[in-house]
Amino acid sequence: MPSVAHTPVTTDEERVPWYVWCSAAAVTFAMVGVHWDISWHRSIGRDTFWTPAHIAIHVCGILAGISCGYLVLSTTFDPRSALRECSVTIWGFRGALGAFIAAWGGIAMLTSAPFDNWWHDTYGLDVKILSPPHMVLALGVLAVHVGALILILGEMNRTSGALRNRLLTLFLYVGGMTLVCLSVLQMELSFRLLQHQAHFYAVVTMVTLPVLAGVARASRFRWAATSVAGVYTVFLFLMGRILPLFPAEPKLGPVYHQLHEFTPPEFPLLLVIPAFVLDLIWQRTESWGTTRQSLISGPLFLVVFAAVQWPFADFLASPLARNWFFGAKYFAYITRPGSLMARYGFVATEQGADLWRQVGLALVIAITTGWLGINWGNWMRRIRR
Amino acid sequence: MRLLPITLLAAVLSLQAHVGSPDVFFKGSAGPYSLLVTIRPPQVVPGVAEIEIRSESTDIHQIRVVPLRLGYPEAQFAPVPDLAQPSKDDPQFFTGALWLMTSGSWQVRIDVDGARGPSRLSVPVPAVATRVTGMQKAIAIVLIPLGLVLCIGLVSIVGAAVRDAMLEPGKQPDAALRRRARIAMAVTAAIVIGALWFGNNWWGSAAGSYARIVFKPLRLKTTLQLGDRLKLELEDPGWLNRTTGDLLPDHGHLMHLYVIRIPDMDLVWHLHPERNADEDFEQRLPAMPAGRYTLFGDIVHSDGLAETATAEIDLPQIAGNPLTGDDAGGSGPPLAKRGLTRLVDALPAGYKMVWDRADAKLSAKQPYEFKFRLEDDQGEHAEGVELYMGMLGHAAFVSADRTVFAHVHPSGSVPMPALELAQPDNPHAGHMMMQSGPPAAVSFPYGFPKPGFYRIFVQMKRAGQIVTGIFDAQVE
Repeated sequence: MPSVAHTPVTTDEERVPWYVWCSAAAVTFAMVGVHWDISWHRSIGRDTFWTPAHIAIHVCGILAGISCGYLVLSTTFDPRSALRECSVTIWGFRGALGAFIAAWGGIAMLTSAPFDNWWHDTYGLDVKILSPPHMVLALGVLAVHVGALILILGEMNRTSGALRNRLLTLFLYVGGMTLVCLSVLQMELSFRLLQHQAHFYAVVTMVTLPVLAGVARASRFRWAATSVAGVYTVFLFLMGRILPLFPAEPKLGPVYHQLHEFTPPEFPLLLVIPAFVLDLIWQRTESWGTTRQSLISGPLFLVVFAAVQWPFADFLASPLARNWFFGAKYFAYITRPGSLMARYGFVATEQGADLWRQVGLALVIAITTGWLGINWGNWMRRIRR
Repeated sequence: MRLLPITLLAAVLSLQAHVGSPDVFFKGSAGPYSLLVTIRPPQVVPGVAEIEIRSESTDIHQIRVVPLRLGYPEAQFAPVPDLAQPSKDDPQFFTGALWLMTSGSWQVRIDVDGARGPSRLSVPVPAVATRVTGMQKAIAIVLIPLGLVLCIGLVSIVGAAVRDAMLEPGKQPDAALRRRARIAMAVTAAIVIGALWFGNNWWGSAAGSYARIVFKPLRLKTTLQLGDRLKLELEDPGWLNRTTGDLLPDHGHLMHLYVIRIPDMDLVWHLHPERNADEDFEQRLPAMPAGRYTLFGDIVHSDGLAETATAEIDLPQIAGNPLTGDDAGGSGPPLAKRGLTRLVDALPAGYKMVWDRADAKLSAKQPYEFKFRLEDDQGEHAEGVELYMGMLGHAAFVSADRTVFAHVHPSGSVPMPALELAQPDNPHAGHMMMQSGPPAAVSFPYGFPKPGFYRIFVQMKRAGQIVTGIFDAQVE
């Protein structure tokens, strides 16, 4: 691992601070809760405020609130606080930057609750992920993730040795959970039946590449992108294998697909392979400028990802994948038997000029988001507070 | 602007099957158990329908309810039924709530388990979005400050990130850093404004999508031809994939048309226009005085969804034709809108129709059984009562302001074709069966949707003649 220039502050204490553990736990609860909740809506349908999935999401807000509230209040009002010298100031309050970001996320999550409730009363229950109130909630959850990343990074950049390594592990874990979080937002645009469209690759690249590049650059770890994609893969794989072990029955109609267990998320995208290739290329181009790196790494990610995911989508549509391990046999209760999804079909690949337009768009997105990710990572490297 | 509306419109477009009377009232038998079922459909879809079931007997152990699409071509499975909760005070009264997830025709399947074994009853219910509402002030008071905190907070966080976050511990930001922070905050503010603009457009798009599924009733376009021939065209303003070529006959008629003189509501006809080759409806009018008339045309689509198309028309004096078949008419005193309760209506030849009213006070949203009886000139139950279009009687409940119209049968407000779809195994779902001659009394389960003055037109058949009783009610 490359050496890091830093100013040690927490040299006496070699333990990871409790509020960092709290932040990591918060993002874990959020992602378990969100995937459980989506599965709940796809298999049971009807819920209340007090479902276990909702409670897990609320625990995220509680943990983030406790840790960030403590950090901000203790740093602001305790003149002996060791964190006072390494805090930022907002509206007269002092605290770690990550604490403020996570607190912002908590307020956004809080705001989304009455907004979503009003939305349902006004426009009916929305049975989709992408809606304005859900987006406010998603931004809140994402901010809790980013706040945790920055909080860990601030600690990491001020320390060294074993503690830094432990913080690095947590940083990569939260980076992976951030990728999981963003993958929820693109879930409706990345179902298996869309994976033979160029548009799908543009969407996934837009979400994935900045996280991989940012975390890799900020962590200075050789295999950061692979680690982040690995966390994403393991988490989604486990959710996908564990959820169907539990019984569930639809409580809403119309029911087009009879099911008896929780419907899991689809098999994780094979992001770990292009992430591994990115790590290899970034190890060999450290001396390159940001623009040159993004010109190479963006298209490379796109090409490698398409090369592995396109045929893998074919495999997922084959009878060989219709089992517990690959999960292609599971459908939501609302899936119509004659639908493309149920027939293991694909939305047709764009043709002619439209195809080239989408490919061009995907390339532009890959280069741009790669550039943004690398620069975000460079900025995060310098965070001290 | 959707984000900041403080004073906002809340309106209910309550025009659907019937007019202004969305709740379903149904009296029927689940095997040996007689039930009075009230279903209050949601005003937005997907939304929750509230269900109330009153049993006439005390031997029911439990009731389960489950919603299913009605008249839907694709195969479907039933979701897990809900257990209706018995009232603590009244064990014969059960309540439940069910989600109706898509617009269209549904049925609520009621499974009863009791001392006389299990049995089942299905009740059709429409699910159509009718409510268009804005943001309530109380919600806006909560959301706007939170939104401002989020927007300003985000700008402040970015400022702090640029100004302070990269400083070594103990260091203070210099002027250059402060200037960069201000620039970053300005850029972030612009991005936040852009995000709000995008979000507002997205919100508008979602509201527009909802507006497209809000129920838009068919309209009646009326034309008087050849002096006494009324041509009725169904005009579709466009709603989902509705057509007007899929109508089902209800008691043998594709349309049941109520023609009521306004504003007095003193003359009423219950007519049955025939559909011509152009898919329009035509009705030869009876003798009618000149005046303004309101028209309510009931139709039923192939999935069981019923609609009432409305119109108003000014007619000259019509010489007219004798009423034939199931067509009928009646007259009464002008509607009085003050403290009037008409309980007896005198009919020709000394007969009279009597409203056997049990409740001194009528309240909105409450289900009642409206009981009427036909008496002869001796005050005895009339002899020679016959079924009128397969029923003991037909009733129309019309509010004085004509925003409410409901055509109700002894089984309730459910259209018969929908009932036949919901109960395919019941060969008598659409009409009444009598072991002996029909009685001279009829009852209609119904509940008024709102307070106000109402006129009730009740039609029965005796000795080949259709008689019309006219009653008034004040609802609180």
